[in-house]
Amino acid sequence: MNFEGEILLVDRANVDTDQIIPARYLTGITKSGYGQHLFTGMPGGTELLQSKPAATILVARENFGCGSSREHAAWAIADRGFRAVIAESFARIFLENAYTNGVVPIVLPKAEVEALAACGRARIDVAGQFVEALGRRIPFDLDPLRKSFVLEGGFMEFLAKKVELVRAWERAAAS
Amino acid sequence: MRTLFEKIWDSHVVEELPGGNALVFIDRVVAHEITTPTGALEIEQNFGDRIYDPARIVALNDHVSPAKDTETAIQAQVLRTWAKRHGIKLYDIGDNGICHVVVPERGLVEPGMTLCCGDSHTCTLGAFGAFGLGIGSTAQGGAMLAGCLILQRPKVYGIELRGSLGHGATAKDLALTVVARLGFRGATGYVIEYFGAGVASLSMEERMTLCNMAIEAGATSGLCPVDETTFSYLAQTEYQRGVPDWESRVERWRALRADDDAEYDAVARIDLSELRPLVSWGTNPGECSPIDGAVPADAPQASLEYMGLTPGQTLDGLAIDQAFIGSCTNARLSDLRAAAAVLRGRHVTVPTIVTPGSQAVRRAAEREGLHDIFQDAGALWTHSSCGPCLGMSMGVLAPKMRCVSSSNRNFPGRMGAGGRVHLASPTVVAASAVAGCITAPDRLAARHAVAGGAA
Repeated sequence: MNFEGEILLVDRANVDTDQIIPARYLTGITKSGYGQHLFTGMPGGTELLQSKPAATILVARENFGCGSSREHAAWAIADRGFRAVIAESFARIFLENAYTNGVVPIVLPKAEVEALAACGRARIDVAGQFVEALGRRIPFDLDPLRKSFVLEGGFMEFLAKKVELVRAWERAAAS
Repeated sequence: MRTLFEKIWDSHVVEELPGGNALVFIDRVVAHEITTPTGALEIEQNFGDRIYDPARIVALNDHVSPAKDTETAIQAQVLRTWAKRHGIKLYDIGDNGICHVVVPERGLVEPGMTLCCGDSHTCTLGAFGAFGLGIGSTAQGGAMLAGCLILQRPKVYGIELRGSLGHGATAKDLALTVVARLGFRGATGYVIEYFGAGVASLSMEERMTLCNMAIEAGATSGLCPVDETTFSYLAQTEYQRGVPDWESRVERWRALRADDDAEYDAVARIDLSELRPLVSWGTNPGECSPIDGAVPADAPQASLEYMGLTPGQTLDGLAIDQAFIGSCTNARLSDLRAAAAVLRGRHVTVPTIVTPGSQAVRRAAEREGLHDIFQDAGALWTHSSCGPCLGMSMGVLAPKMRCVSSSNRNFPGRMGAGGRVHLASPTVVAASAVAGCITAPDRLAARHAVAGGAA
């Protein structure tokens, strides 16, 4: 997986999931259609999104996605066309939800985030685990198991294949 | 030399996976109407509607119940029909409440258990010496399908509690202190494990309030040791009362404790006797100060701009437009009793909403006449639900409306677009509702005297 795109900077720390998508929009029973509500809970969020309608890479500060467990946050980001979020750090549940939904969560040091924040575009090589911008390659880490869910999907299929193993484990634990 | 958390973790690992992940067995999945339908429908459509073990799932309509519109009615109905089809226990209108209130009060959490829910405040269940985990909808679907989750093993942040609460401080003030001390993201990657004599001084409801806000420090969960207080609480619950092997259960639970030489990855200490009532001034729960204090000089500009405050501004006396007592943090019987004790014989001066955490809490409160105290004071006494906490159904704030709330999140827009939330304990919310401004119960009498003198 390999894509190039425009960067949208969300220049705030602690972008919580209520800012990403307020609870009043969590009324669906499917994973689609949440993009229209993205960042509507963030002061100035709608205007920010409109400033770069073609952006596909989000760059953010510390603790992106904190707060609620709502996977709608990852669905809204994906639905709006974003394929990666680059941040100084992520909250745990958002990080897991991003992987599960094919949104690449990239953690980079503050200095690299600053550099990317100042440039308009980047190319991301997910398999090779680097961001290419400003004429250089910035490597990043990914969870090797969850990386496969980003590249190929298959989170639920992975677990479905574990059912017999889990049943055997449970029987052994009970005896 | 293992912590309590490590013992629970080790006894639930089914398989080690690449990259430090593990397949972790889940004893109970808690399923509510907002985050369950997508996973349930995915299993129905792609995995033959197979559920690992319906007896390990408990379902609740809790966030918007009764439904407020067609969409939320569909969510509730999907949960209902799915639960009925699989024979899953369902708590519904008339007998329901917030999942993190209902699951403990019915005895559906036990020490040593692993539990997950598509709800970040599942960490509340750690009060019982269990691993309660908030997860996304897809992961919850995975747990319903396969009985397990893929997890990175968290580190353990040991917090020693000493002394006991006094000076009007409550478990809420302790929970806020933990977030402020560790920082809003300071416990990311950790489970917070409480230990020390201070824990023993806390009731189960206080421990639930404490563990409830572990997520607000970024923690994977919060965890209290199990003791006689835990056993006495569970012994009175529907699912634990009168079980034939009760004594052997308690023996097993009693053995579930951190080793004396357990090693924590990080340690902090809090003396409960030093705590004072707090109130938040910012846009995350870690941004709080003592009520008799002020907005810090170095407070983030973005937080103050949103909240309409200035550095150095005093908090006591800040005018409010609404008050809310409720949420999975502070809507249990002891919370309502504490708030009622402040409101008895007084009258609120701003719109005040009191929302019990469950129908069982509501009925227990009414048996004690608490509903009369609230209503005599001019407050609205509602049915149980998540209520105004997340701005999803009733009690939504208008832009710039200022609400003092016993809930857990003061994020921008949390209780309504542009609304301003100040987090505090139920007693502080009650006192503030009477005064019409942020204040503590012990300052109410002085305020009345001043107001009377002025008149």
